[in-house]
Amino acid sequence: MPSNYPGFKYGADRETYNAAKVKALESLLIEKGIITGNTVDQVLGYFEIEMGPFNGAKLVAKAWVDSEFKQRLLADCNAACQELDFPEGMSGAEGEHMRIVENTPEVYNVIVCTLCSCYPWPTLGLPPYWFKDPTFRARVVREPRVVLKEFGVTLDDSVEVRVWDSSAQIRWWVLPMRPAGTEGMSEAQLADLLTPEAMMGVATVQV
Amino acid sequence: MKLQHNLGGLEGLDPINFETQVFVEPWEKRIFGIHTAMMALSNHLNTSLPKYEIAKAPTTFKGFWTWGHLRKGAEAMHPFEYFRLRYYEKWLGGISGFFVGEGYITQEELDTRTAELLADNPTATSPLPKGDNAAIDTQVDKYLKEGDSPLRPAPTPPKFKVGDKVKVKNVHPSAHSRLPGHLRNKEAVVALVYEGAFTYFFPTEDGLGTPMPVYSLRFQPQDMWPESLTEPNSVYYNDIFEVYLEAA
Repeated sequence: MPSNYPGFKYGADRETYNAAKVKALESLLIEKGIITGNTVDQVLGYFEIEMGPFNGAKLVAKAWVDSEFKQRLLADCNAACQELDFPEGMSGAEGEHMRIVENTPEVYNVIVCTLCSCYPWPTLGLPPYWFKDPTFRARVVREPRVVLKEFGVTLDDSVEVRVWDSSAQIRWWVLPMRPAGTEGMSEAQLADLLTPEAMMGVATVQV
Repeated sequence: MKLQHNLGGLEGLDPINFETQVFVEPWEKRIFGIHTAMMALSNHLNTSLPKYEIAKAPTTFKGFWTWGHLRKGAEAMHPFEYFRLRYYEKWLGGISGFFVGEGYITQEELDTRTAELLADNPTATSPLPKGDNAAIDTQVDKYLKEGDSPLRPAPTPPKFKVGDKVKVKNVHPSAHSRLPGHLRNKEAVVALVYEGAFTYFFPTEDGLGTPMPVYSLRFQPQDMWPESLTEPNSVYYNDIFEVYLEAA
């Protein structure tokens, strides 16, 4: 149940002020030769086009149809990435050391970064808001089943829940279970079923 | 004790805010891009893996900026402010404070420009200046693709092996730590010993910064919290630097 806590107070101009301040900062940094007028857009474009959850989806789909590839992916995520035709950078920023864990009928995995927002950028892109919100970070480490239920995932007590927290440089993500009814699907069709949330362990894959 | 280090297991919080957007306000994209560019142009990259020819990047930025600096700033905040401000609001405050503090811009410049933009005068709708040096962006792209791996050859063999029982030390959290508060003084079992050793961006007062083994530790919930606050059949893993551990 939501609490009765009224929340923190903010000025009415909260977002217009933030927007103006960041534009002021960026324009000053460009004028002073720290970055160029293209730098920020280039960074953003990289995560829209080259590194995003569409990469993780391709890896999961391939693992679903090729059990030997799945074993290699589970054993060495970064090496397995080299087998697919990805853009350069799968072991780049925030992907230097990635590991993936497999959901099975007996084991369900979920990732978190209690201290901040560590996340495997090359396979999953940039983390959604909820993952960075202190409420998720605080709660999932102690009450993962309750949290998962809020996300719509209800697990039987017989399923072991494993919470993977990142306090060093290893970036975890999840290989979800392939749903029933997808037997005839191509890898591309399977990849389309995947969401960042499914590959973070807070959703199951829906057909 | 810092609240920022002690989120794990807090009681009495609200349901999860299931907002799936990465950026909940358009302006947040810009500070993300600025931070990432700063990491890509940081002066430490001449000693990183890979070694970048960072001195040749034609940026006027000659400072040291990493995730460690961003995190240290967030850990220095008033704890209630940490919760009051949204994720990228903390970044905006920390990063603009850094540029002012290091003398790249003045507070007055930033305030004046911000006020002009808020006043909706011609500056507000004008496009950003172009800047020109494409070689800056080449370095940013190179960093994105090649990263900044902390993995180094192990100077000494790991102290612990898979299956060992270890205890997490209660080190002084100091200005910056990678040890979550809810693990202090707790016992765990080594689930995995990562190959090699992991350095950190800079030395911390609690012992990071020289290459050392990192372990995946398996904690039982009942060893971290009172039984009545735990759930059945769940385990918790965290990757912990060796300096934070002793034999149990």
